[in-house]
This record gives sequence, structure tokens and C-alpha cells, in this order.
Amino acid sequence: MDTLVRDGDQKRSLSFRKDKCVGCGICTDICPTEALKLGPLVPIARGLVDMDYVNSDKDNCALCGLCAASCPFDALEFTINDVNIKDHEAYPQWKHTASIDDETCIYCKACETACPRDAITVTRDLPIRSKLVSGEIEIDEETCIHCGICEELCPAEAITLNKEDITAPEISIDKDKCVYCLVCKRACPVTAIKAACRTCSYGVYEIDPADAEISGNAFIVDDQCINCGWCQEICPVDAAEVSKPFEGEITYIDDFECKGDSCHACMDICPCNAISIVDGKSVIEPKFCVLCGACAKACPQNGIVIKREKINLENVRSKSWKKQMDKLAEAGSK
Amino acid sequence: MPVVIDMEKCGKIKDCSGEGLCIKVCEQGALIEEDGELVLVPEKCDDCDICIQSCPNQAISKKS
Repeated sequence: MDTLVRDGDQKRSLSFRKDKCVGCGICTDICPTEALKLGPLVPIARGLVDMDYVNSDKDNCALCGLCAASCPFDALEFTINDVNIKDHEAYPQWKHTASIDDETCIYCKACETACPRDAITVTRDLPIRSKLVSGEIEIDEETCIHCGICEELCPAEAITLNKEDITAPEISIDKDKCVYCLVCKRACPVTAIKAACRTCSYGVYEIDPADAEISGNAFIVDDQCINCGWCQEICPVDAAEVSKPFEGEITYIDDFECKGDSCHACMDICPCNAISIVDGKSVIEPKFCVLCGACAKACPQNGIVIKREKINLENVRSKSWKKQMDKLAEAGSK
Repeated sequence: MPVVIDMEKCGKIKDCSGEGLCIKVCEQGALIEEDGELVLVPEKCDDCDICIQSCPNQAISKKS
């Protein structure tokens, strides 16, 4: 979609951010002048055509900014005299958020894997392994015959036998890799491996808790997050908290004849990874749904109904905007 | 009931702005290309209607 600009008393500009658009059609539904149109959703979602989900008709667009204010994904950016209306006190503000509490997070990376938008990055610093194992081994070079049996058996690949110089082979242990499993000691044909067990030497097996500490950082890229709730759902320690742009429900029409595996348009377009085809039928997991309505727009059978009971958009001061936004309450028909 | 193709609206695939998009979206193989033209294999059509909404020429419908 081209950027639309108008210079007058105010300079107004509407620009499209392709990477953020999910093809939900909220903007096309809400546009009072029908200046926005959806492209072929399913072929775009499948990557069969390289087009934007939304196209604009610059002759019809009044540059009112309602579309940008209503887009929960920030895919439309509207500026007045170069100020984004998102930062303007007179304009509506979305209240949905997503965060990961660093205090609670254990850096397991489950959210990073589950996030359908690749919006989460988890980095972690692990303890030094040698400080967590219960002992260490040593090889007596005098006794060792450099047969390489220990090297071959070591599950941690901590033993290296260097036979480059056949007359003076060298064997070494990487203490950072050794897990003190003692397989080498048991297998050594000449008992060249000595083990020093911390438990035996000191009577108790204790690890300094500080040595076992894991530090890290979990970070949500706001620009990519669509508040689907996957991180919140999958987090084993409830460190992720997500609030959604809409509250309501998603259902199918009563006599819906879902074509399932033949079609799967809903599954392909869903930005939240909330839809799957199970036993030949579309199944939506409401926990991950943001009620954006892209699936309802994409379904060729018009079988999906979105009911939005609450919009988490505050500071809607204009009555005409409020009236127009109320149209978002029910989506499904094209 | 399988879809119906209006061959006048459809034209040759090489002239289609979707470059035969209906063929690409149909996973049942009910729409195929033969000698540069679109051919419907009615028995394979599952009535999912994805082709109808994807056709840039509005050449596919449910009515004859």
C-alpha cells in the first residue's frame, strides 16, 4: 500500500507497515469512506502472490486516521504534522500489553520456541559445568598405554588422544566437559585413570549455590508481538503476562460445512497459530486467538464468526469514531 | 456441486494477472492447466471455494 500524504492546514500522512499487517481487515471494515480494500488473503498468506494485504484508494481516503487508530497491530501509521497519533493525547490508545517478568523467568526458552511471531529472545548464562560435577579424573601418563578406549567411550567427549607423533602420544582431559561419570575409569585396561570424588574426600556433596546460578534475559520485541498469549500459556513459572486487544468469543456458524484439509484458509492466515485442522475440521484454540478476524475474512464458506465484547482501546473522544468502532463488535461477513 | 468456470472471463493462463492462481490454491487438483487453458476436473472439486475468492478475473462461480 502506498503512503498517502496531504498538505493543508496540517500535514497528514498514512503509511502502511507490511511486516506488521496480519490481513485481519479491521481497517477495511472501519474505514468510513471505503478507501481501503483487502487483497487476496489466502494466496498472500501462502506466499503465492507478493502483494500487500491492504490496498488504498487515495481518491477516497479522507486521511482521518481512524484506520490507524483502530489497527491493534500498528500496521498503519498515521501522523499529523509528523507526530504519530499514537503519541497524541487527543487520540485513542491501545491498552494491550505483553511482558515477561525477569524476576520470575527461569530462561527455559519455552516462550521463545512457542511465539508464532518470533518476537521473543531469551539469552542465558549457564553455570560452569566443572563446578557442578561431583569430582574429577586424572590420567597417569606413566601408566597410560594410549589405547584410546576411554576417548572412544567418553559420552561427554572430554578426552582427547593425540597420536600425531606415534612415538610420543598425548592424552588430555577437558575438565569443562567431563561430567565425572567414571566410564573411562571402569573401562581403562591398565587402571591409569584416577578419580577424586568430592563426596568421598569431604564426606558431603555440596555445591556452592552461587556456582549453580543461571542468569539471563527474556525480551519481547514489541514491534513483532501481537499479544496472542502463547508465551503466557506455555510459561511454566507464569512469568509472561499478556493482555489482548479484544475480549469476546470466536465461533462457527451453525450449519458450517468446513472443508478442512481441502481449504485450511483459516489456519494459513491466522497470525497467532491458534487454528489447526483436526479430523478434517477447523479447530480454533481461543486461548491463543486475538479476535482479529483474519480467519473469518479468509474463510471461503464464511463459516467463522467473531464476537468482540470489549475493545481495549481507550481515550476514544470522538463520538463519530466511537460509533464507527462499534461496528467492530461483530465480524464475520465480508 | 463443483464450481463453474466462465471461460470468456478466464482466458488464457498466460494472460491471467494471477498467473493461474486458482490452480495454485486448489490443493485437490481439481483445477489444472491443459494447453495453456484452465480445465476443471469436477470429480476432484471439494467445494471449498478458495478458487472463487482468489480469481482476479471473477471467472469462477457456483452458478452456471
